Amino acid sequence: MAEPADKKRGATPEKPKPAGYFEGETMTRRTVFALAGQAAGGVAVAVVALPVVGFAVAPIFDRPEETWEGVGSPDDFADDTYRQAVITIVDGVGDSGKTTVYIRRGSPTLDEDPNEFIAISTRCAHLGCPVRFVQAAGNFICPCHGGVYDFEGLVIGGPPVRPLDRFQTRVNGDTVEVGPRYSVTNDLEPVRARDPGEFTGGIWEYLYPPRPTTPPPPS
Amino acid sequence: MPKLPSALRKPSKPGERGNGARRDGGGANGVEAEPHPVREKTKEGAIDVVGWVDQRTGASPFLTGLLLRKVPKGTNWFYTLGSATLFAFVVQALTGVFLAFYYVPSATEAYDSISHLTNDVFLGEFVRGLHKWGATMMIILIFLHMGRTFFFGAYKYPRELNWVIGVVLLILTLVMGLTGYLLPFDNRSYWATIVAMNITASGPVVGPYLADFLRAGSEFTATTLPRFYAVHMLLVPGLIIALIGAHLYLVVKLGTTAPPWLRAEAKPKSSREEKVG
Amino acid sequence: MNRAEQEAYLREYEVLKKKGKPFFPYAVLKDSVMMMIVALVIVAMAIILGAEQGPKADPTTTTYVPRPEWYFFFLFELLRVIKPPELVPIATIGIPTICMVLLLLLPFYDRNPERRPERRPVAMTAGILTIIAMAYLTFLGASAGSPTEIEVEPPPQIAADTAAREEFEFGAQVAAQSGCLACHKFGENGNDGPGPELTEIGAKIPAEAISRSLVAAPGIMPAYGDLPPRKFDALVEFLASLR
Repeated sequence: MAEPADKKRGATPEKPKPAGYFEGETMTRRTVFALAGQAAGGVAVAVVALPVVGFAVAPIFDRPEETWEGVGSPDDFADDTYRQAVITIVDGVGDSGKTTVYIRRGSPTLDEDPNEFIAISTRCAHLGCPVRFVQAAGNFICPCHGGVYDFEGLVIGGPPVRPLDRFQTRVNGDTVEVGPRYSVTNDLEPVRARDPGEFTGGIWEYLYPPRPTTPPPPS
Repeated sequence: MPKLPSALRKPSKPGERGNGARRDGGGANGVEAEPHPVREKTKEGAIDVVGWVDQRTGASPFLTGLLLRKVPKGTNWFYTLGSATLFAFVVQALTGVFLAFYYVPSATEAYDSISHLTNDVFLGEFVRGLHKWGATMMIILIFLHMGRTFFFGAYKYPRELNWVIGVVLLILTLVMGLTGYLLPFDNRSYWATIVAMNITASGPVVGPYLADFLRAGSEFTATTLPRFYAVHMLLVPGLIIALIGAHLYLVVKLGTTAPPWLRAEAKPKSSREEKVG
Repeated sequence: MNRAEQEAYLREYEVLKKKGKPFFPYAVLKDSVMMMIVALVIVAMAIILGAEQGPKADPTTTTYVPRPEWYFFFLFELLRVIKPPELVPIATIGIPTICMVLLLLLPFYDRNPERRPERRPVAMTAGILTIIAMAYLTFLGASAGSPTEIEVEPPPQIAADTAAREEFEFGAQVAAQSGCLACHKFGENGNDGPGPELTEIGAKIPAEAISRSLVAAPGIMPAYGDLPPRKFDALVEFLASLR
């Protein structure tokens, strides 16, 4: 606070030069002390604050291990309807780490490989409410804001911003296994898993950048 | 014997035989001719304590400035909405602290601890009800308080900064509402939180990282609930208390507004009309 | 507000303050009475309404209909009415952020020195409109029906007959559970599009045509010919009676 006044005084020629003054000096002793005091305080705060902040944000760089979970034998699934299965996506939180997926066999009429399995997430791509598959209509309906998806999970009505997310699937011996989640573009191109409400494809891949917490999409 | 600070003394009214009148005259020497020496002694004792504290804290000028400051003419019931909001916050803070005696912030145990608290603990449902409906009241009151400030034009010079603090308090209160309703961990809590986090995530560029930070991962994890709990219990209440302090400081410093329709004498009015004309 | 106006205000405020009463006990009394009322209301609500606990959080549900706490209904409704996907980020982030910034900066863009409500027409109109909009959105949000329910009143001749009424309600239930609401509007329920509104469909086309289009399913509409005959007939009858 006193600095400007001090400098002004220093500028007046009448003032006697302080000890250790030399021609071309840019800083007075007082300024050095003031800066050193502030620096010391800054160090004190930073030494505590930085680790704490790092500690709090660490989980956003942490990718959980991929898990694959069996959901039944290949014969359990038809290609014209979905079967529900409950899988665990987060360990250690009991029931709250589970989610429901809709699984069916690839349908040749939809240009899919009948030996592949399609697992569709129940999280609405609008804001994550639980969608339900309506058998009679053959589509998925979200109860929150009125989103509707067709049989393949493509948006046919309401506000959702992209098709329903999918889970990777594989057949391991005699079991169909469900793996990590991924998102798809409107052409069903796989991209990294993202949260509901985020567009996929085109420029949106940059506006919603990939997060370290999600695995890369299946190729 | 410490003397009662002059600021705390009651101004004497003519003919009244009150404390103030006597002490003004008597100064430090206590007992005069009184019919009830014991009662008088007790009174003096209390005054001694007050005086002792005052001598060491210098609180009395502050307190008299606070309590005896004038509020403008026309102050009416609308001006009680702010303190009512503060009261609702105090209710929340108190009940919240005691709810924390029983609550377990863990995704596996939270629901059961709330069940236990509500159904088994003596007055459990009542105290939880106080917290739940206190939240509702606080939100209603803070909106009404803001409405009053808006319609009375009380956010204008020189109180702009207090309006800004007030809006931040409103946002923090809504954050409390949001983080608070995950804690009972019933279906409504869970899905409302999912939606709220996805709303956060839909912000371009930083949104996805922010949502990961709130959830501590890309999905609802074991640390999500403790995070919300810490924010609800410690972080946001701390900020709210600090900001309420700043808010009240400015209220006392700048004074509450008079109702806008009240005018002082013609002088300022005419000068304004000159300006407008 | 310029310097002169600021000084004029401060002078005037000083006068009004001098004419006022001390905070304690006059204002404090009002504050305390108000606090007492607030306390009594909270206690009454806590006793009468209690603190019910819903079913435990179930991330695997596919039937739960999430609804927020009442004070977020306006936001909920905003998200519901903004249908085009391109506008979703505007509804989720854009509008709330803009509103908050506008609210926060209010004293800095409202430079009108006048404080009397009747002399601040723009501010008053904006404020009242905001309140009405919030109240209306809250009301709509609160009364938003479940997307698996259709609440339409049957026509009088059906309402009078118990059997016909039951059949009508059964048909409505079939329609609701078959996902018609996803694309069609029935009165207050359902989405406005991509399908046409069905509130008065019975008056527009005859029952046979309804039945045919349910089976043939024009455009992107799924076919409903596979419904059990009992349900299919009830559905057709229900639709045909909407007028």
